[in-house]
Amino acid sequence: MARISSSQYLWLGLLVLALILHFSPGPLGAFVTYPTEWVVSVTDQMNVAMRWFVDAFGPVFKAIGWLLEWPVFAAQKILAFLPWSVTCFIFMALSYLASGWRLALFALAAMLYMAGIGYWAESMNSLAIVLISVPMAIAVGFGLGVFGFYSKRARRIIMPLLDLLQTIPAFAYLLPILILFGFGTTVGLVASVLFAFPPTVRNTILGLRAVSAEIIEAGEISGANARQLFWKVRFPAAKSQILLGVNQTTMAALSMVIIASIIGGTNDIGWEVLSTMRKAQFGESLLAGFVIALMAMLLDRITHAFATRDRAISSDEKALKSWHLVLAIAGAVWLLSLVVPALAEWPENLVFDPAPAMNTGLENFILNWRLVLEAIKNSAFFFVMLPVKIGLIQAVSPFTWGFALTPVLSFAYAAALVVIAGFALVRARAAMGVTVLLIGATLYIGLTTMPWAVVLAAFVLLSYQTAGARLAIGTALGLGFLVIIGLWPQSALSIYLCGVGVFICFVLGSGIGIWAAHSQTVSTIVRPVIDTLQTMPLFVILIPFVMIFKIGEFTALLAIIAYAIVPAIRYTEHGLRNLPPDIIESATTLGATPAQLLFKVKLPLALPAIMLGLNQTIIYGISMLVITALVGTNGLGQRIYIGLGDGDFGVGMTAGIGMAIIAMIADRITQSVSLRKQQALGLKTEML
Amino acid sequence: MKKLILSAAMVAFMGTAHAADPKGADTPIKIAVNEWTGQNLSARIAGSLLGKMGYKVEYVTAGAVPQFAAIAEGSLNFNPEIWTNNVGDIYPKAVESGKIIVSGDLGLEPREGWFYPPYMEEKCPGLPAYSALYDCAQAFAAADTFPKGRLITYPADWGTRSSEQVAAIGLPFQPVAGGSEGAMIAEMKSAIAAKQPMLMMLWQPHWIHADVKLNLVKWDSESADCLAGKNQSKGSACGFAQASVKKIINADFAKTWPDAVKFVNSYSLSNDVQNALIKKVDQDKVKIEDVVAQWVADNESVWSGWVK
Repeated sequence: MARISSSQYLWLGLLVLALILHFSPGPLGAFVTYPTEWVVSVTDQMNVAMRWFVDAFGPVFKAIGWLLEWPVFAAQKILAFLPWSVTCFIFMALSYLASGWRLALFALAAMLYMAGIGYWAESMNSLAIVLISVPMAIAVGFGLGVFGFYSKRARRIIMPLLDLLQTIPAFAYLLPILILFGFGTTVGLVASVLFAFPPTVRNTILGLRAVSAEIIEAGEISGANARQLFWKVRFPAAKSQILLGVNQTTMAALSMVIIASIIGGTNDIGWEVLSTMRKAQFGESLLAGFVIALMAMLLDRITHAFATRDRAISSDEKALKSWHLVLAIAGAVWLLSLVVPALAEWPENLVFDPAPAMNTGLENFILNWRLVLEAIKNSAFFFVMLPVKIGLIQAVSPFTWGFALTPVLSFAYAAALVVIAGFALVRARAAMGVTVLLIGATLYIGLTTMPWAVVLAAFVLLSYQTAGARLAIGTALGLGFLVIIGLWPQSALSIYLCGVGVFICFVLGSGIGIWAAHSQTVSTIVRPVIDTLQTMPLFVILIPFVMIFKIGEFTALLAIIAYAIVPAIRYTEHGLRNLPPDIIESATTLGATPAQLLFKVKLPLALPAIMLGLNQTIIYGISMLVITALVGTNGLGQRIYIGLGDGDFGVGMTAGIGMAIIAMIADRITQSVSLRKQQALGLKTEML
Repeated sequence: MKKLILSAAMVAFMGTAHAADPKGADTPIKIAVNEWTGQNLSARIAGSLLGKMGYKVEYVTAGAVPQFAAIAEGSLNFNPEIWTNNVGDIYPKAVESGKIIVSGDLGLEPREGWFYPPYMEEKCPGLPAYSALYDCAQAFAAADTFPKGRLITYPADWGTRSSEQVAAIGLPFQPVAGGSEGAMIAEMKSAIAAKQPMLMMLWQPHWIHADVKLNLVKWDSESADCLAGKNQSKGSACGFAQASVKKIINADFAKTWPDAVKFVNSYSLSNDVQNALIKKVDQDKVKIEDVVAQWVADNESVWSGWVK
């Protein structure tokens, strides 16, 4: 028989409170549903403040926007001027010099695809924005990362700022950028820099902090000054982690360029995706979306290969010669294109268009598999989503489960929970017993129908237990703010949808990550798939799901999973693959079985990376919520969309801040859990 | 002045027919190009005719809502097709302050209402009268709305008229927000492919009507000042007031291109013309430039009065 700790009594108390409030609140009804007459609306004040800000500083931002437009304008002009064959050759040469023939062939295939599908001009316009925004984002990100590494105080400001930028969904700050910088290409540029630099900061700090003390010491002993210590010791040692950040920055910049094309102003590939999406042209939008994914993979592979090469080679005279050669051949190709028009502009009769066939294929698929698809959707909906959302109490009905939830069944359900909990208690697993009761009660009442006071108290209690009083106060203030400004119902819907999505992502994603870390074949297959998923415009991810599973939450859930699973896989694999080899070796020599090695050695050691992955999964899931508003989910995402549609800064921004609050609380809790686990294991704490 | 970049340098020089170029012929007129084919046709036909008058024209892609900020500040000059039912907050303010000038109706007659595929008339014989929906709600039901019928409404940010209408006339239907136009059209297409029940708030002219046949639910009466969900009940329902489609220009337009204003004021297109052209672009996959050029060549008698 285990003793129940005081904190577990608190949880049990909360459970009782939930049941009382839910079933007979009496005079405490205000703690179940927050009364609308108590709501303090802040949207009007925010709009007034924004108007004042624009009046005061508008010209400054307009001037910056005007300046920023020139590099993009120049890049677009150059790319539009060059014949496709020359651009194609330059990319092939870059790929060859960076990595070798395989990448050069990939570059050729990607470029031929862009030209052959008939989207060359649009592709080049998007590429121009990306070519300008990625270096800007990396410069900002690296600078802030280094600053944050050296100054703890700066880190305190930078980290929440990053969370804000990554969690306030792109849509929400498109509107203020539009208001401040004016209509045009600048909106996409600014938005993509803002959205894309945080991963570089995060990974720069993580990488620099992970440099082991011995290496630094060795550098100091050999007499390095501060600058040398940074550039010759810390930076090279942290480079692999920083590059992971650069990689993510590139991907994020591209996907933001696409989202920003909702504003217009540039005839780019994102606009093409959006207008075909609007017409529900599945094939066309997928083909255009694939251009973006190819572009991302190409840029990613080239930069990655260049950065990991030995420095000595790139400054070598031989390399200089090869650059001369590249320019000479590019010039020759250009001259040739003056004679052969097909090399200057892709001939129209060679444009291929598989879109109609793809559309027919999808239609046939839906027709033939309708019953199966319907069954999948309905069982996910009836047995998983509805119980979490509105509780068994409403979800179980003859129409859904085939029987009604009679009082007898309810009693049996409660009894079963108590028996399991009691059994756990006897087996000295008090925590497990309490958890079973809590999950059981939540499933019975439902997450969105749970009294707001109980949900708030639960988050505060969880924050207190994992991270202490400060986070608990922050959680209380943050969630309390959402309650008071009247956003609680939308917030609860968002928490429910995102929670289910993140849970599935984490379980599935870590599994795939572990597999990929142990099998080169799996890794080789998985990498392009997750790169594609991450860089596919989010709208395009939606289209096949909505064609198959229709408008609604199930489609939204699938889209969230498709997008947010990427960091879970990526970070797990990265963490497992970058473990100190000596520890693995000594564990193996001590005779650990593969299973022991994985669960007792590798996973605990990779925990910081895996937790960073969970952290990112939550942030990705939340940012996908605003996109799922496009398929009719309610919640905070829908509010942001409404704000953008009405040009209402306050409505969009409060919802955006609401999402950021939820994300940050979830983020801090997961970080703290990870920290405690590491301390328990006696590991070096690697908290970002 | 902002530079708005275009890939294919879509600047039209077609002023050969005129001996003297009109005032402002050197400054390109920037015409907004939105996300849907119908508007693209309206914009390009207008642009092509302005080109015939001797003006330079640029087509600039612009989101339907963000474009109003751009027109108000003069980055864009002209949009011949603004649907007044979905304009957000910026548009009415800009019109009120005189930054955007409305120059009359385009001539399109939008039809909004609840559409259904014809096979639903077999499952619900009383259609197209709305009164039939009361008895055959179950024929329109889906798993998540059963036993109520399922009505796909506009995305939540386009207003809630359908939901209010359902409540007002006490229809046993569950309104489900469509999310986005793309999602709604995907839904409609997949329902028709599988012959599943479908009732959806939609509008005309829209290219989907060139693709599939859809029927419109009929109300007891029709009137221009009919408000959805207000003062309506079972037995006396008028449905939805119909939107109008306006041509708009920015404040300086008349100063910069005085003669072009006359064209803008007289320019008009009908549902039939637009639907036919939309079909050519979206269904027959003819390039939009060719469709426009063909129409302009064939209809000189229609537009010769506008360009004088």
